[in-house]
Amino acid sequence: MESKRNYKGITITILSLILAFVFVIPLIWMVFVSFRHEGDVINNVLSWFKPPYTLETYPKVLRTSGMLTWIFNSLFISVVSTTATVVVSAMAAYALSKIKAKYNKYVMLFIIFGLMLPGEATIIPLYQIVKNFNLLDSYAGIILPGLASPMAVIILKGFFDGVPQELLDSALIDGCGLFRSFINIVLPLAKPALASIAILTFIGSWNNFLWPFLCVTSEKLYTIPLGIPIFNSSYTSGYVLPMTVNSIASIPVIIVFIIFEKQIIKGVTMSGIKG
Amino acid sequence: MSKKHKVLIASTLFLLPFLILYLTFTIYPMLQGLYMSFFKWSIIRKISFVGLQNYQKMLGDSDFWGALQNTTFFVVISTPVMVVVALILALICNRKSKFMKLFRVTFFIPSVLTVSVISYLAIFVLQPYTGLLNSFLHLCGMKIEPYWLANQHLAWVSIILTTIWWTVGFNMILYLSALQDVSEEIYEAASLDGATKTQTFFSITLPLLKPITKIIVMLQILSSFKVFSQILLITGGGPGSATRPIIQYIYETGFTKSSFGYASAISYGLFAILVVITLIQFRITREKEV
Repeated sequence: MESKRNYKGITITILSLILAFVFVIPLIWMVFVSFRHEGDVINNVLSWFKPPYTLETYPKVLRTSGMLTWIFNSLFISVVSTTATVVVSAMAAYALSKIKAKYNKYVMLFIIFGLMLPGEATIIPLYQIVKNFNLLDSYAGIILPGLASPMAVIILKGFFDGVPQELLDSALIDGCGLFRSFINIVLPLAKPALASIAILTFIGSWNNFLWPFLCVTSEKLYTIPLGIPIFNSSYTSGYVLPMTVNSIASIPVIIVFIIFEKQIIKGVTMSGIKG
Repeated sequence: MSKKHKVLIASTLFLLPFLILYLTFTIYPMLQGLYMSFFKWSIIRKISFVGLQNYQKMLGDSDFWGALQNTTFFVVISTPVMVVVALILALICNRKSKFMKLFRVTFFIPSVLTVSVISYLAIFVLQPYTGLLNSFLHLCGMKIEPYWLANQHLAWVSIILTTIWWTVGFNMILYLSALQDVSEEIYEAASLDGATKTQTFFSITLPLLKPITKIIVMLQILSSFKVFSQILLITGGGPGSATRPIIQYIYETGFTKSSFGYASAISYGLFAILVVITLIQFRITREKEV
């Protein structure tokens, strides 16, 4: 009986490992293809993975593709978006959680309402509005529309609600104003939530495709998600250069994910459960 | 200045940056879209007021219905798969084994990649003759050459499989956290009472997962209705318009055909559908709980 149960467990583990392999094989393949010489003849599927390897396509792609510009733009836009989103939503969440104004309840409802609005259904009017502001094809035009995140405010408010009011009251008696208690008491206590939101916002912004795709026309503003399709679509048979570009775009994100796996997964859990 | 006023001013100052951005880029577009839907409006400028004509046109537009049908098809097929696969993956990650973290990381990795990488990986993996999948099939001795993206049915299979691979990790994480909330003692009690693992799963675990399943189904339906980027990049809505979803039709109407007014009307059509779905789901969720 014991050994029978054991066999079953091992079988499930093996099947799970095969499934996990299926999940990552496209990524493993991507990296191995990027290590090949351009123009290598591939006779069967296994020869993709066999040596000789080379890193020669990496500098070549970085030199010729405009990828350095895309990386810079993606980094710049993601850093600014993340910082601004965290600051703006933490301030709003603090007001809603710790400053007792009469209209808080209505503002909260109004923000929850925003959760239900499908952003994709407003691309046309949003384009028109950004155009009216003269912000199409600019960093501000890419960044500003994504900053107000109802989800971030709601999650942070939930966290701030957990900070005991007595702590703030006694700080107030010590002459610590609302602004200082925000900076010195509430924010440090909410660090884990802020970190989760920052990481999720960063990944979301780094990967954002739809809005930059509509907003950006000039090549000098391309981000990685915009550059990749343009670059890849010019190769239909050669695999090595497109896979090098894809690897450069993915490997940093995968490394960041593996390092911050716990925070990212916590952030996903919070956003799903609140949603 | 009274204390009440001070509080009001402080709270307004803290809320202001968020509210300005929220009103300008979330709420205002909703109203602007409604306004635009009553006009003939090109990509350059407003042309003329047309009343409800855009909406009338929508109801008689076979391309609109085709795109809506494609989207609905995608939602109906992908939602159950996305929920069941997510549950299976979460159960795998929740089993006590040496590989717990490995499984969790692997199943979630595609979710952190950008749609552009995902889509082009899919295109190259699915390439006839030399792509990873077909050359693997050849290695297994199969003499077939499926054109994954050129055949209408296979194109759907490709899109749905790619989307599952890319996004199932989110649902899996939600299930996993719900599974981890189930206390050990319940399982111990069940096994003391002589329940088999299958019995425990169906009569204890599944019922406990009901609330999270409702949330996942709802989030999944809403997000599947908005499917666009991966289809645009993988098949471009083709072959023909066989896989073109509603958002792509809105995009093409607005930007390719320069009919911003009509595109706004279609957006409102989609918006109405999403609101109705949300209301139906709230209704169902409530009834079951009562």
